[in-house]
Amino acid sequence: MESASVAATHEEHHGPPPANRSSRVEPQLLGMLLFIVSEIMVFGAFFTAYFFIRVVRGDHWFPMANGDKLPVAVAGINAAILFSSSLTMHWAQTSIKHGNRFGLRAGILSTLLLGSTFLFVQINEYANIGFSPQDHAQGTIFYGLTGLHGAHVFIGLTLLAMVTVRSFRGHYSPEEHRGVEVPGIYWHFVDVMWLFVYTTVYIL
Amino acid sequence: MVAKLRGPGFYRAGLMTLLGIGLCIALTTGVRASSGLHPALRDNSVLTAALIVAPLFFLVGLGAFDYWFYWAAGRPTRPEDHSGHGARSWRDYFRVNTDHKVIGIQYTVTSFFFLLVGGLFAMLMRAELAQPGTQFVDSNTFNGLFSVHASLLIFLFVIPVFAGLANFVLPLMIGAPDMAFPRLNALSYWLLPIAGLMMLASFLVPGGSFASGWTAYAPLSDTAPIGQTFFNVAVQFAGASSIATALNFLVTIITMRAPGMSFFRMPLLVWANFSTSLLVVIATPFIAASQFFVLLDRGLGFNFFNAGRGGDVLMYQHVFWFYSHPAVYIMMLPGFGIISEVIAVKSRKPIFGYRMMAFSLIAIVVLGFTVWAHHMFTSGMQAWIRIPMMITTAIIAIPTGIKIFSWLATLWRGVLHLDTPMLFALGFLTMFTLGGISGVMLAMIPFDIHVSDTYFIVAHIHYVLFGGSLFTIFAGVYYWFPKMTGRMYDETLGRLHFWLTFIFFNLTFGPMHLLGIDGMPRRVADYSKEFADLNLFISISSFILGASTLVFLYNIIASWRGGPRAAANPWRALTLEWQVSSPPPIFNFDTIPTVVGGPYEYGVPGAVHGVFKRGAEVPAPAGTVALPSRE
Amino acid sequence: MRNRRLIVQMVIAWAVAAGIGITIGLSIDWFPGQASSQADKVDTLYKVLIVACVPIFVLVETVVLFSVWKFRMRPGEEDKDGPPIHGNTRLEVLWTAVPAVLIISLCVYAYTVLRSFERKPSTREMDVDVWSQQFAWSFFYPHSVTGGQKVSSTTLVLPQGQPVRFHIHSADVIHAFYVPSFRLQIDAVPGQSDEVRATPNRLGNYLLECAELCGLGHSTMRATVHVVSPADFVSWLRSQGAPAPGIPVLVPGTQAGAPRPAVPRSSSTARVPA
Ligand code: HEA
Ligand code: HEA
Ligand code: CUA
Ligand SMILES: [Cu+2]
Repeated sequence: MESASVAATHEEHHGPPPANRSSRVEPQLLGMLLFIVSEIMVFGAFFTAYFFIRVVRGDHWFPMANGDKLPVAVAGINAAILFSSSLTMHWAQTSIKHGNRFGLRAGILSTLLLGSTFLFVQINEYANIGFSPQDHAQGTIFYGLTGLHGAHVFIGLTLLAMVTVRSFRGHYSPEEHRGVEVPGIYWHFVDVMWLFVYTTVYIL
Repeated sequence: MVAKLRGPGFYRAGLMTLLGIGLCIALTTGVRASSGLHPALRDNSVLTAALIVAPLFFLVGLGAFDYWFYWAAGRPTRPEDHSGHGARSWRDYFRVNTDHKVIGIQYTVTSFFFLLVGGLFAMLMRAELAQPGTQFVDSNTFNGLFSVHASLLIFLFVIPVFAGLANFVLPLMIGAPDMAFPRLNALSYWLLPIAGLMMLASFLVPGGSFASGWTAYAPLSDTAPIGQTFFNVAVQFAGASSIATALNFLVTIITMRAPGMSFFRMPLLVWANFSTSLLVVIATPFIAASQFFVLLDRGLGFNFFNAGRGGDVLMYQHVFWFYSHPAVYIMMLPGFGIISEVIAVKSRKPIFGYRMMAFSLIAIVVLGFTVWAHHMFTSGMQAWIRIPMMITTAIIAIPTGIKIFSWLATLWRGVLHLDTPMLFALGFLTMFTLGGISGVMLAMIPFDIHVSDTYFIVAHIHYVLFGGSLFTIFAGVYYWFPKMTGRMYDETLGRLHFWLTFIFFNLTFGPMHLLGIDGMPRRVADYSKEFADLNLFISISSFILGASTLVFLYNIIASWRGGPRAAANPWRALTLEWQVSSPPPIFNFDTIPTVVGGPYEYGVPGAVHGVFKRGAEVPAPAGTVALPSRE
Repeated sequence: MRNRRLIVQMVIAWAVAAGIGITIGLSIDWFPGQASSQADKVDTLYKVLIVACVPIFVLVETVVLFSVWKFRMRPGEEDKDGPPIHGNTRLEVLWTAVPAVLIISLCVYAYTVLRSFERKPSTREMDVDVWSQQFAWSFFYPHSVTGGQKVSSTTLVLPQGQPVRFHIHSADVIHAFYVPSFRLQIDAVPGQSDEVRATPNRLGNYLLECAELCGLGHSTMRATVHVVSPADFVSWLRSQGAPAPGIPVLVPGTQAGAPRPAVPRSSSTARVPA
């Protein structure tokens, strides 16, 4: 039974009336920003755990008394890799805005590769680090924070993979590139988050 | 058959669920084998993995992600296809539907189902508590009962039912054709039944359901039987659902208001949901994380809360309450919105001090983030933290008081229509004040030290959540019932429901204040003899309170199926949702209305809130039911 | 003017009802018997809260009832609207400021109560270690009290009039040490030790309950607190094997760490279960 009220308008409607746009912000953009706010809070909760275990309890941080330590230098190089992927992402974004398809493809592909390298190095680090999250709360926090970030890198890479597939299929144009824009914001967020994780966990 | 299995729906969902479980078995066995453990399914790892993975596969099967898969793969998507819009028969309520009105009803009905189940558990608890000693249930079951009672009522009733009511009316109120992200909206809904059923299913596993309270303090929850995992995971789903909805509300409110609807012309329900959504987006990640910590401790042997290896036990409480205190306002602010609508319309007067009403909501949001440790006055945390927390907590009484007094001033010299929604609104005013005041007493540290974790807290909880939230929910359901269903409810039964509820609510929860101050701890299956008389009295009252719900149920079901047709605007309200037919047309509006004035200009001669361009104020003739129509 | 008269009527009704409410509130016997010097302060605080809060509740109630009584829709008024009053700044300032003042004063008062509640007493304290585990309590009297090996017990025995400092510990999950008659509650948290103070001041047996959900046996995790005279306490300690029991209350001016037998050997029978 088709709803009678639609018929009552004496007009065949094929869709809703376009909504009024009461703000200049793009809905998708705003949605992504709000999502990032709640993502930041997830990290916030993990940093709270870090704060309690490292500061409130005042226990030793790495390097620990039993010799457990963090590969600060390797992770630093890895961080540089991740940060440079933000640049290539930016390159891809500006390219498509100017209609440069090659730039888009090259940018997005190198972002994907750099991101994957980061993840690969990170997993390698886990394998060789010499302690586990079961050993002590410090290990728990280390794996918790870097693992949480790693999971976000993974999600970001999945999004980027989709964008890559689509950009090689010839999607996106200078007018319609929200599909690059929105995952791009997420990727930048993931990178910035690493800045915080790296600083608090490895350096401080 | 193959077609059924390939197209979205329950068949494919079932298949995918099985696939998901299979994947988990393969995965865990693989991991165990490769890490040198015995690969057999000895511990609970498969179950844990399946709890997380199988629901996602279920959703894929159901079709909640289809559009995004198409989009991601670069396949043609069909933005012009509105087959997912509107409901043509009751079956459409069991599909992934993107119409905010259908989703609103799905939400509301689902949450009321969980109210009944949660309430039923309360009845069992009261039966056990009628006498000291053990009668009906052992203490493990009892602990499970109140844990599931509270978890269902909080995560699957109060929070989602507000989201449901707002889902239905909010886009209409702001003159939007739908929510900003209809498909995300559908996904948010479908996460809910998963969370709820998961909590209920925990009764079936060895060791019984999760039994460490809705607060699930570590390290008790770290070491509890497998039922606890169901809580950890279910909360993730409920939390994801509520974050997604909140995000949707925020974007909808910011970007899709009708022309002319400035922020200060929005109905207060919209303001209320705006502030609630802010709370949800910012706070909910914390409970997700807290349960994630517990999950990691339980599943993988992490040491977040293992004091023996440097973990910090109190950290759980800080993270938990940083969400769960704001959560109590998540459970109250939308109710404030409902009450503002009902009281303005039913007193035929503009809301007194509209701007202060809006500002006080924002004040509560901001303050709400600064008070979490008032749940930890006796927790053994650093003593000094208690003092600032006491002050901020008590200060919240001021913005809340502004709201209460403004409602009272709205009543004054109005023309009060004392029908069911209004009775519940007035009941709310008085009962919530009582609950709020007992909250302010709790904020006074020396008093809280005496009554923390006693029945005084249980009394406070129910005065604010039942006398507060639930009364507003009843008011809202009665108020929008004509709009949502196109039918009128039975007024006499509605009043009977109110009076039974009001009286026996007080008889049930009032005496608990006394018990608490007298020193009866909460969460006990057994208590010492001097508390016996009052408990018996409470139990008897609570059974009648439970029975009063049956009146409500009967009224709603009977009226929905065969009540008199409702007019488009039976309450002579000004807000936009009442300017369209009851129930509203599939796409809400033929053209988006233009807003030219405030939402509550009752008594102002010639005042209008919204105008429809073509004069097409189409209260289509009744007969436009899209609901369980039986004729 | 009708409105003015109504308001006057309502204020009178409110004052009367608030008076009655406060009287009822104060005459109810809310609390269990007081058995510590802190208890009285909490009870007084509660009475103050009653006096401060009942009028607020009654005010809301009165306005609602008055509105229902005077302003409900009469037959024939179905289409009538109320006057379009949008607000009144003076009134709004008033109902922001008055609760604010009330709230701040209550907080200040509660703070002073808290301070006096937790202040270190002038006389020396006696230390007791409280250990909780699923689902039992045990109490340890350290060397400074026994004068030798520490004494353990499953009931809590305390001398009347002696300020006590409890050190609360947990061996497994969180429990809470709750003695309603002392108005005292604090969580026992694994991995840390919390301190609370109380000065028992009335002889008798009191209930000690676990007030934090700790699992299956939570509701049965109770113990008894015996407050006995100092002399009885000392002889009880001795019957538990303490070589040289001494408690500060009996020896004013004793320095910490130097417990001495304070009571001459007496054969008085402790009224305490061994
Ligand atoms: C809808 C839910 C809801 C709401 C709105 C509130 C509102 C408040 N709550 Fe409540 N609270 C809960 C739900 C809620 N609470 C739950 C579920 C728990 C227990 C959790 C658990 O452990 O399981 C709890 C526990 C709880 C505690 C911890 C107790 C303990 O465990 O030891 C405290 C302590 O401060 C507290 C305080 C308050 C205060 C000050 C408010 C204030 O916001 C109230 C403000 C309102 C008013 C004061 C009334 C109107 C105002 C006026 C008429 C103005 C004038 C008033 C004065 C000057 C006093 N609450
Ligand atoms: C919105 C929230 C909400 C609501 C509505 C209720 C409703 C009720 N609650 Fe609940 N309660 C909480 C939230 C809520 N509660 C919370 C947060 C806790 C703390 C838990 C914790 O400590 O962790 C708690 C704890 C709690 C306790 C303390 C347990 C303990 O500490 O040992 C008790 C004890 O009496 C209780 C009783 C009741 C009763 C009698 C009702 C009644 O109002 C219920 C009325 C009954 C119904 C509404 C349904 C009746 C159903 C039928 C008649 C059958 C029909 C059924 C079908 C067709 C399926 N509740
Ligand atoms: Cu120990 Cu409850
Ligand atoms: Cu709170």
